[in-house]
Amino acid sequence: MNILWIQRLSCCGNTHSLLNCETFDSLLREVSFLFHPSLSAEGEEEVVEDVLKGKLKVDILLVEGAVKVDDERIKELCRMADYVMAVGSCASYGNIPALKDDSVCGLQYRFKEKGGLLGSDFVSKGGLPVINVSGCPAHPEWTAGVIRSLSRGIKPELDSWGRPKEFYSSLTHWGCTRNEYFEWKIEPESLGSKKGCLFYNYGCRGPLTYSSCNVILWNGVNSKTRAGTPCFGCTEFDFPRAGLFETKQFAGLPAELPIGVSKRGYIMLSGIAKVFAPERLKLED
Amino acid sequence: MRIEKRLLARVEGTAQLELVWENGRIRDARVRIPSSRGIERVLEGRPFMDALVITPRVCGICGHAHLMACVKALEDAIGHVRLSQKAKLVRDITLMVEMIQNHIKWFYLFVMPDFIRLGEKLDEFEPFRGKRWKEAISVASEAIKVIAIFGGQWPHSSYAVPGGITSNFTSTDVSKALALVSRVEGFFLESLVGMPVEAFLSLRKHGSWEGLKGDVKLFIDLCFKYGLERVGMSYGRLLTGGEVFPCITPGHFTGEKKLCSLNISKIREADGSPYSGAKRVRYNGMPYETGPLARQFLSGNPFVKRLHKMYGDSYMVRVLSRLLEVWELTSTVKEKLTSLYSFIKEPSCQIPFQKPERITGEGVGIVEAARGTLIHRVSIEKGVITRYHIITPSVWNLGPRCEKYLGVAEKAMIGLENPIHAEMVLRSFDVCSVCTTH
Ligand code: SF4
Ligand code: SF4
Repeated sequence: MNILWIQRLSCCGNTHSLLNCETFDSLLREVSFLFHPSLSAEGEEEVVEDVLKGKLKVDILLVEGAVKVDDERIKELCRMADYVMAVGSCASYGNIPALKDDSVCGLQYRFKEKGGLLGSDFVSKGGLPVINVSGCPAHPEWTAGVIRSLSRGIKPELDSWGRPKEFYSSLTHWGCTRNEYFEWKIEPESLGSKKGCLFYNYGCRGPLTYSSCNVILWNGVNSKTRAGTPCFGCTEFDFPRAGLFETKQFAGLPAELPIGVSKRGYIMLSGIAKVFAPERLKLED
Repeated sequence: MRIEKRLLARVEGTAQLELVWENGRIRDARVRIPSSRGIERVLEGRPFMDALVITPRVCGICGHAHLMACVKALEDAIGHVRLSQKAKLVRDITLMVEMIQNHIKWFYLFVMPDFIRLGEKLDEFEPFRGKRWKEAISVASEAIKVIAIFGGQWPHSSYAVPGGITSNFTSTDVSKALALVSRVEGFFLESLVGMPVEAFLSLRKHGSWEGLKGDVKLFIDLCFKYGLERVGMSYGRLLTGGEVFPCITPGHFTGEKKLCSLNISKIREADGSPYSGAKRVRYNGMPYETGPLARQFLSGNPFVKRLHKMYGDSYMVRVLSRLLEVWELTSTVKEKLTSLYSFIKEPSCQIPFQKPERITGEGVGIVEAARGTLIHRVSIEKGVITRYHIITPSVWNLGPRCEKYLGVAEKAMIGLENPIHAEMVLRSFDVCSVCTTH
């Protein structure tokens, strides 16, 4: 499997994230990098020329960073590759670089809108649209996982946002150590507390964000919410929203409820939960 | 006169080098950094806490330093924010660990492959294949786990908030962090300097760099072989803004004898030039180099002091300063982790409660990032950011020229005879174009 990694408007965070992959060494034995901007000894131009001339075959093209709407180079490269992966939310949806610049987008989306640089109908040679490994940055195990699947001939199933279902069909909320506080509607007294759920007043997007951060931990040891930081919803098209540490309230209720929860159900359950919450959960130690 | 353009690989982001050749020597050099992502503009009009999430995204390798500069600037603007000793220690620890991982990756991934390009046979250091190359990545990722233990993840965590940190941890977590740091220390001693700790410390006492072994020795030998021990000097002016006791002290060195204190009101940033997306920054009107060489020189690292005396601010000395700083950082992290045990019961975060709408003010945050002095300035009105301004380390080193002076890195390349040497000298500043333009 030949991999070509190209960067555009990025912070290089997805590269450094991938370097944390616990099995990076074995990944390097399974696939070969034609070029990576931070890692290769030689320059980019020759490799890209050879690819475009058809002298070198690209099995997977990985793009890190948002792109300009008129980036013909990337378009051409995407046509040459069997599979195209957008690594990180910038390449997937445009993200921060696209916020104040209309000429910037993701490969197949611009935020919510399908289209992006390649157009909504784009399908790569291998028969898949752009595989969006969203996240700011993408989790190393997600990126490596997709590369490994493709290299074994397994095509990942994608969700309606172009993301591999395997990593994006559950919420950040899954596996969060604060779930019990969520269920009983217990808020932390302040940031820095081990206890309490961050959904109620610190803007946690865990129940509204598809990601497996609390199942496949970061750096093998932790996650944002376990470390007391709210989830900011970085795998979703609308990251970064405004007011990242706030829970917008509407008539005493969170303005947005967890995915799939009805307003009525929420009101009924949360009232009861609060009243019957076990004492042990309310104590700070 | 011949003009040559080179696109640089193995840097953070994209950078272009334009060399003007005359009689086989570089007569002029320009560092071009492409256009920016507009992060400062993205921040305007947002609730001030959002800056804690957005500013780390300036850079994938030193995002944590941005978080620290940001939280300091916010605390300065809010006023009267007290921190527990616990929060202070943890912030210092994670900041330094980010530098450690940077330095290790940089040397093995960015610096050593240049010697392969010069024709040296260095199998162990070959990208994607070399044993040492892979080992460096794995050691760096081990170190990073320390940040994740306290901060939730790396890259891009936002666990420092006005008043402290969001995480609450146990003494077992601290012990695990200590174990991870010991592994880095082991790598430094075995692979980088190739000797047991007592031997290293006795060399360190007098800065006897000649006695170092391991990959550092290999690097020094290669520098002499290719004539890189005296080239790549810039103005010799060095500056450090942040402070982490005892391994980083702020100050500046004008190139003459005396070390001076730093007055941040003398720092000025002006718009860049037509050829680069980067701005330029001057201290007292003069260009200054920032980064490990400046830091270790100003903090009195015995190795760096002697090296600097013998070879000035050359390519070799700049690279060695970064490598030897790994020791200073690692031992300081160990000390701080050890003292953390006694503060574990302190609160992680104490925020003097104020409604965000009531917060109006201006603040500055200065820290040392891997590449040098990083400054964030923020203006907040009724809880909303009205202005955000970032001066990154790379702006000091890689920013363009002004009417009077060439940029620091530009100056360092004048007179060189080999284009790969020019790239190497430029890389010795640990080029980060994503930071430079942000
Ligand atoms: S902190 Fe966030 S992810 Fe964790 S339980 Fe609460 S809402 Fe869910
Ligand atoms: S916890 Fe949320 S913000 Fe953090 S990495 Fe996961 S999806 Fe992104």
